[in-house]
Amino acid sequence: MNDLKLAWRNIWRNKRRTLLTVASIFLAIFLALIVRSLQVGWFDRLIEITVNSYTGHIQLHKKGYWVDKDINNSMVFGDSLTNLIQSMGNVDKTVPRLEYFALSSFRNQTKGVMLMGTNPGMEDEMTHLAAKVTKGSYLTGEGEGILVAEGLATYLGLTAGDTLVLIGQGYHGTGAAGKFPVSGLVRFPSPQLNNQVVFMNLPLAQDFFSTENRITSLSITLKNADEIENTLATLRSHPATSGFEVMRWDEMMTELMQTLKVKTAGGMIILSILYMIVGFGIFGTVIMMTNERLREFGVVISVGMQKSRLAAILVMEMLFIGLTGILSGVVGAMPILVWYHFYPLRLGGEMGEAFINFGIEPLMPLALKPGLILSNVMVVVVIVLVTSIYPVRKILKLKVAEALHQ
Amino acid sequence: MNIIEITNLTKVYDKETIPVFALNGIDLTFKSGEFTAIVGPSGSGKTTLLNMLGGLDNPSSGKILVNNTDITQLTSSRLIDFRLRNIGFVFQSFNLIPVLTAKENVEFIMQLQGTEKKQREQRTLELLKSVGLEEKSNVRPNKLSGGQQQRVAVARALASRPRFILADEPTANLDSKSADNLLEIMEKMNREEDITFIFSTHDARVVAKARRVITLVDGKISEDVFKNQ
Repeated sequence: MNDLKLAWRNIWRNKRRTLLTVASIFLAIFLALIVRSLQVGWFDRLIEITVNSYTGHIQLHKKGYWVDKDINNSMVFGDSLTNLIQSMGNVDKTVPRLEYFALSSFRNQTKGVMLMGTNPGMEDEMTHLAAKVTKGSYLTGEGEGILVAEGLATYLGLTAGDTLVLIGQGYHGTGAAGKFPVSGLVRFPSPQLNNQVVFMNLPLAQDFFSTENRITSLSITLKNADEIENTLATLRSHPATSGFEVMRWDEMMTELMQTLKVKTAGGMIILSILYMIVGFGIFGTVIMMTNERLREFGVVISVGMQKSRLAAILVMEMLFIGLTGILSGVVGAMPILVWYHFYPLRLGGEMGEAFINFGIEPLMPLALKPGLILSNVMVVVVIVLVTSIYPVRKILKLKVAEALHQ
Repeated sequence: MNIIEITNLTKVYDKETIPVFALNGIDLTFKSGEFTAIVGPSGSGKTTLLNMLGGLDNPSSGKILVNNTDITQLTSSRLIDFRLRNIGFVFQSFNLIPVLTAKENVEFIMQLQGTEKKQREQRTLELLKSVGLEEKSNVRPNKLSGGQQQRVAVARALASRPRFILADEPTANLDSKSADNLLEIMEKMNREEDITFIFSTHDARVVAKARRVITLVDGKISEDVFKNQ
C-alpha cells in the first residue's frame, strides 16, 4: 500500500462529498473553458477582421509618422528594405499606401476625406477590397478612377460614374487639386472608414500630392501571426529600418485593445467569482476531511508515520479530487471547443445581419488554445494547493495525545 | 535488564493558574518481558503515564530512558521514528485505519519501517495467524467484530518487533469472551516471545493476569506489587 493508493482510498471514504466536490470543479472548469474560449475566439475574430481590413499585422512608417500623420512624414523605400522584407519567410503580403487628408466636393456638398493611394492588386490580396465594392467596379491598375466609401457617397449624394473634386495640400506645401471619376462605391464594417475614405491608385495619389515615389506606410501580413514577435525583432534590429518605426497591430489599434481589455477584465471578474465559490466549496471539504480524522491522524503519527508524510498524503488527496474534477471538466468541454472551433457558431438575428451588412461572414469560432486550458487548470490546482495549507498546518501542529482523545 | 527507567516524572496541567499534577514525581523501572498492569481510579494519571512512556506527550519535568535513550530530549521527528522502531500501541478504540484491510493495517507499520515486501507479507501472515485472523486478512475493519479489530490491532502493534507494547484499556470496548481471548493471545506472546506488555486498565481480568500491578493515586505510585506466579 503506497501513499498514493492510500490517498486515493481516503478520498472515497465519503463518496457523496467527494463526488459533489469533483462536480463543482467539473462545472467551474467546464464553464470557464467554454466562456473564455467564446470570449477569446470572438476577440481573435475581431482582431483578425481589423488586421485583415486595414492595418495588417505590422506596419512600417517613417519615424514619428504615427504621432504626426503628415504627408511630409512620408518615406521612400530603399532597395535594402524591400529586399529584407521579401527575404523574410514569415511575411505573407505587403501593401504600400500613401494616406493623407483632402477636401472632397460634389455639387454643393463638401467633406474632409481620407485619401488612400494604394496598389489595387496588393490591397485586394490583403484586405479583399474588391469584395467590398457595392456599386460600379473595382480600381484597375491604371486610369484615374477612384473608389468612394458608401457612407461618404451618401453624404455627398454621388454614385458610380459621377466625378469627385478633391482639393488639398501636397508634399512640402504644394497645392493638390483634381477631378476624379468615381468607378465604384465600397462598404466598410467600420463607420469611421465608411464615412470618410477614398481609394485611388498609388501613382495617382503620389501625383496628386506631389510626393513622387513616397509612401506613408507599408502594411505587412504574416503567414504565422504567432511568430510576430520574432518577425518584429528581426525588422527592428535590421540596419535598413533605422529611420523607420516598426509597429505591431495592437500598438496601432489602441482603442480596440482597450475595449477588449475592459471586456476581458469583466469576464475575468465573473470567472474569479465562480472560482471563489468553488474554492470555498473545496475548502469546506478540506475542513471536514481534516477535522473528522484528527484522531486517526493521532493514531498514525503515534505508530510511527512522520507528520510531513501524513501531510503529503492529505495534499495528494486534495490533488486527486482537484485533478479528477479538472480532468472531467476538460474532457467534458473539449468536444464542444473542438467542434465550434472548426465549425464556428453562425450568428443569426440582428447581429448576424449586421455582420453580413458589413461584408463579414457572421461566424463566431471558439478559441482552441492550450494556454487558455492550462491557465484554468492551474487556477484550480492553485486553489487546491492553497486550501491544502489548512490540513498541512493542522497536522504539523497536531498534539498526538490530544488527537487520540478526540 | 531494565528497558525503561523513569526518574522523577512530573506532568503539571494549567501551570499558570491552579496547577494540577497529573503525575507527581514518578520513579519506575520496567524490565524486559514484564506483563504489567497500571491501575487506579479515573484521573489518577494512568493514561498520562502511558502517553509519556510512548512519547506521545511531553513531561513537565523528569526523565524517561528507553534503552538508555532519554526520549524526553528527542525532537518530534526523531521521537516519531523512535516510536516506530521501539514501541507498539494498542488503543481502547482499536483505531485501525478504516480504508485498509486487516492485512494492510498490519503491513502498514512495516511499510513505514521500510521493510521489504516479501518479508512484510510473511510476517503479516504469521501475525494474523497468531491472533487467529488469517482468514480475515482481506477484510476491512468495518466488517470485523470489536474483538477481531482489537486482535488486528495487537498484530499491528507487534509488526514492528517493538521493545514493548503499551495498551491503553485494550479490553474496555470488548465483551468478556473477546476480552479473555485477547488477553490469552497477549499473555501467550509475552510468555513465548518475551514481549513486554504495559497496560493501563480498570479491568479485573487484566489485573488478574498481570505479574506486576502498579497502582496510581493522584499522580503518585501508591502500590507496586510483583506477583509470584
